[in-house]
Amino acid sequence: MRGHGWLALLVLGLCSAAQAEEQKFKACFIYVGPVGDIGWSYAHDEARKLTLKEFPWLETQYVESVPEGQALPVIDRLVKGGCKAVFTTSFGFMDQTLEAAKKYPEVVFAHATGFKRAPNMATYMADFYQVYYLNGLMAGALTKTGKVGYVAAFPIPELKRHISAFALGVRAVNPEATVNVKWINSWVSPTKAREAAEALMAEGNDVLAFTEDTATVVQAAGRKKVPVFAHYSPMHRFSPDFVVSGQLVHWEKIYIDFLKKVRDGTYAPGKLQDVDYWWLLREGAVELGAQPGMPINPKWVDALKKAQMTVEGKPVSVHDRVMTLLKDMSSSKPGFDPFQGPLTDRQGKARVPAGKGMSIQELNQMQWVVPGVVGPVADEPK
Amino acid sequence: MTEEVLQALLRALSFGTPLLLATLGGIINERAGVVNLGVEGMMAVGALAAFGLASGSGAWEWAVGLAALVGALAALVHGFVTLTLRANTYVSGLALSLLGLGVSGLLGKPYEGAFLFESAPELPFTLAAGGLAVLLWGFLFFTRPGLVLRSVGENPAAADALGIPVLAVRYLAVAFGGALAGVAGAFLSLAYQPAWTDGMTAGLGWIAVALVIFSGWHPLRAVLGAVFFGLLYYLQFRLQSQSQVPTELFAAMPYLLVVGVLALAGVRRSRGAAPAALGRSYQRGER
Repeated sequence: MRGHGWLALLVLGLCSAAQAEEQKFKACFIYVGPVGDIGWSYAHDEARKLTLKEFPWLETQYVESVPEGQALPVIDRLVKGGCKAVFTTSFGFMDQTLEAAKKYPEVVFAHATGFKRAPNMATYMADFYQVYYLNGLMAGALTKTGKVGYVAAFPIPELKRHISAFALGVRAVNPEATVNVKWINSWVSPTKAREAAEALMAEGNDVLAFTEDTATVVQAAGRKKVPVFAHYSPMHRFSPDFVVSGQLVHWEKIYIDFLKKVRDGTYAPGKLQDVDYWWLLREGAVELGAQPGMPINPKWVDALKKAQMTVEGKPVSVHDRVMTLLKDMSSSKPGFDPFQGPLTDRQGKARVPAGKGMSIQELNQMQWVVPGVVGPVADEPK
Repeated sequence: MTEEVLQALLRALSFGTPLLLATLGGIINERAGVVNLGVEGMMAVGALAAFGLASGSGAWEWAVGLAALVGALAALVHGFVTLTLRANTYVSGLALSLLGLGVSGLLGKPYEGAFLFESAPELPFTLAAGGLAVLLWGFLFFTRPGLVLRSVGENPAAADALGIPVLAVRYLAVAFGGALAGVAGAFLSLAYQPAWTDGMTAGLGWIAVALVIFSGWHPLRAVLGAVFFGLLYYLQFRLQSQSQVPTELFAAMPYLLVVGVLALAGVRRSRGAAPAALGRSYQRGER
């Protein structure tokens, strides 16, 4: 009998251990690129790791380099593997994520950068447009030729929004300056990014910014001693002398908030139809700088302090303007918005009336670009 | 204007350097009668090996040597499968490409996102590639070993009858081709974009495979081909927003040209200057 008692205890113990195991919540991530791209997918994966650290009850799994259009079979596999929440992290995964949400109504889905939702599918975005505006101010102050180059991935609304915000910043300092765009039609392509950057510099652009998921443009600009703005992840180390600033993302702010609410039942299947994260500087989802804690590279602070611009009739230094706006837009009630009207597109058509801003939906579906952007822009309204 | 032409030419030379290196390797390969479609994979493992060594030691000269060695070893796998085991040369080459990309991606994980503080200069690679083209031209057409190599690709049976070790010559040529593909990869990860990114060879290996045909298996024409293709690649960005010609046309040009050249060769019912025994395995006594 005594022996049996031990056995019963052992079985009980195993059961409760198994139960503890079952209580783990599995969240899965689908990336469009390799996690080592130093860009988009890398940032999402860093956020996944930080989120994992936050919650002891969480386990995660990720699949990288999933071609857009092949998300569904991957989701099938993940759901079969026990995923209760699936994050799909590329615009091109949108329709397949929606399809999967219908197929697996008990699973929670969240799609980054999209605009389609379902009762069990939310959308989220950490957007850079404010940060791009601040970068634009600095670029406008630093260009001597009045030509700022931009290596751009795809002509989608996100890029048009960011290039436009950047150009608005450039022109706020230097009204005659242009932002010259070269499209490479690829998220990750070091060879294309390199040659596009070289072409821009050959055309006389003396400051560069970009949207591509490697540090290629930073390296190419650094070799030619051209100031450059880093994109997406800490790239200061790639060219410590010539990276002026850049954009940094903190997806973990969203992941932690989202999963906490899934765990406590705030976000359950059926409750996600209207859940759309559109997190900016205020929520800490994005940061100005080329590495955390360094909004402007100290090597460029003097030049930016010397550069002057006019704000409401008064001269201020570009450096101070950047810092003032950064503080304002990081506060709980920002007073400034880069897309504050009146705004026209580059054909001269009025787009945002005076005193108005743009809604999230308008920003998400923005097909036009502002004056000062030079180069072909696909799907631009006539 | 002249400055712009010079700029474009410099970019063409830079981008053309890995193309030329890999193409020269392919020419030697194919002059010996062996097709190797594994260039992309060999470039990828070469790029990773070079980057791995250089990021640890900072000595890029050694890194280039290691890339050549790794490229040659990868090529010898192809050689063993096709020459000794006499498996299908096209399937084996394709497999080598996929394997090289996969293996470099897997082993490259720890280096993802790493970069070189001290990048290698591009010029020595470019000069070496140009010099090598001249050397190989001289070797192929004006030396006895060059004649031996060509005869192995044209008529292995006759070469064998003359006492030439056909298999050994082909192995050597394959290893040489792999070594050059490895160096081409090293150029990418040490000089062109001194960092490691999975898939950074970006299809250059496949353009090199096409360039071998485009150049008519001639080392000097390979120089022209590589510079020309390099120019096209640069111009797709340089001319963007500067001309009415859609840049997609420039991007597609290398492939359009290759298709055009192949079609012309087909129309003429000849194989151009292709070695007669190209892609066919040889076994003594078999006809």
